[in-house]
Amino acid sequence: MADVTAETAATRQVSFASLRPSREAVVGTLAVLAFLVLWQVAPSMGWVNGRFTSRPTEVFFAAIDVFMKDDFLFHARISLTEFVAGFALAIVVSIPLGVLLGTSKIARYLIDPPLMALYIAPTLVLLPIMVIWLGIDMAPKIAVVFLGAVFPIVLNTMAGMSEADPRFLRMARSFGATKLDIFMRVLVPGSLPALLTGIRLAVGRAVLGVIVGELFVSQAGIGYQINLYGSAMRIDRLLVYVLIVSAFGYTLTILVRSVENKIRDWRSK
Amino acid sequence: MIAELFYRRQALILGTLSMIGLLVFWQIAVDAGLINPFFISTPSQVWTEFLAQFEDGQVAANLGATLYCFVWSMGLATVVGIVLGMLAGWFRDVESALEPFIWFKYSAPTVAFYPLFIAWLGYGTPTIIAIAFLFALTPIYANTLSGIKNIDRDLAKAARSFGAKPLDIFLQVALPGSVPVMMAGLRLGVGRALTGVVVAELFGANAGLGYAITYYGQLMQTTKMMVSIVIVILLGVILTQILSFLESKTDSWRVDSGR
Repeated sequence: MADVTAETAATRQVSFASLRPSREAVVGTLAVLAFLVLWQVAPSMGWVNGRFTSRPTEVFFAAIDVFMKDDFLFHARISLTEFVAGFALAIVVSIPLGVLLGTSKIARYLIDPPLMALYIAPTLVLLPIMVIWLGIDMAPKIAVVFLGAVFPIVLNTMAGMSEADPRFLRMARSFGATKLDIFMRVLVPGSLPALLTGIRLAVGRAVLGVIVGELFVSQAGIGYQINLYGSAMRIDRLLVYVLIVSAFGYTLTILVRSVENKIRDWRSK
Repeated sequence: MIAELFYRRQALILGTLSMIGLLVFWQIAVDAGLINPFFISTPSQVWTEFLAQFEDGQVAANLGATLYCFVWSMGLATVVGIVLGMLAGWFRDVESALEPFIWFKYSAPTVAFYPLFIAWLGYGTPTIIAIAFLFALTPIYANTLSGIKNIDRDLAKAARSFGAKPLDIFLQVALPGSVPVMMAGLRLGVGRALTGVVVAELFGANAGLGYAITYYGQLMQTTKMMVSIVIVILLGVILTQILSFLESKTDSWRVDSGR
């Protein structure tokens, strides 16, 4: 009995699937709309102080303001430069290091403990000392982005290297492959998905690094603007900048994830 | 004999050696004048300074303040994360409704809300707890959700055919089965909560390890700063190790469908 109803429900869903959006999407959208309405109404009903919460409409107009004037591109370019420089540096350092640690047992035993300690520990705590070393310009932020991004990439590359399929390794060796061949043809393609997982995890940490670095001390950048509008209690503009950063982090994460999935598919073929 | 012992304990021996080597290198590099001690201090100076700060109670005060915020935020994140995760894991619609907010929380830099929390909760402890709570919430929620969602279908079916009600299945099958995944979420949460507390303390506090780091950083007193930095790093390692240990204890709860 129960099975029959379940079946009809399933078939009904299939036939309408092309016409109607999925239930999840509808519920999700409704939840967001409900939140926005509540947020809009709450200050006028006197439930919360509008000065501290702003309103969706205010945020919308603030967004237009921010994009039209407010030197948005100038600040965005500075933050983006810090992000790209730190991240590129992290990739350049971490991939060879991960390869070394993944292929040499001795190196792994030697470097693993300090590496793990720094991976677990909050690297953002090194920010004040970076400021002493590097000043208050872009350099300390680049360093913090680097420190945030480098460890997930190293550890995942390492894991990918050591998880290579031993059957492939044995086969390649018995067909007379040299060490370089094995590295290029087996280890590198085998560890690509893990490497991309590391990069995806690093994106979030790097974005956080830029913003925290700029909030801590800076003269320009998105984090500087957030700090400025935060202390001026311009919640609407503050939220615009937070949303921009979120959208950036979200887009980048989704992008890396799609590349990751594509490579996984390609490899399993 | 010795060689055999070496091979068996290779990881531990080489790991300890590299840690000691790092400290010795640090000390020698500064003593030899390669690096200005103003920038990085030395292990021996940091140790002396640690003893001094330990004597006058600074270490206890800062560690206490940080741990107080840590325990509160971690406790709140555990309760809220597990309750929300259970609801979302059990009811599809709750998951769909929470999904957009979780994604926003996941990609938004939590610290950016710092000025907002100051406005809402005031300067100091409540704001620090709120930030650390948000830091720790995501992994706890996500792991509880996936733990409840991926319950063993065979066990659930067997329970149902013996007349179990949905509540029974939830309590007897889904909940115990998801404990190991939940523990993994808590382990990730501990590290993030600590990051949250210390980062929030960097920006504004009256006490705490993060506060000490900024305070001495502004005075450019590297040695005093290093004491708190080292304590934070050790704290992170110790807390994560404790949770890893607890996680391995719950491994026997793991439902192995292949059995």
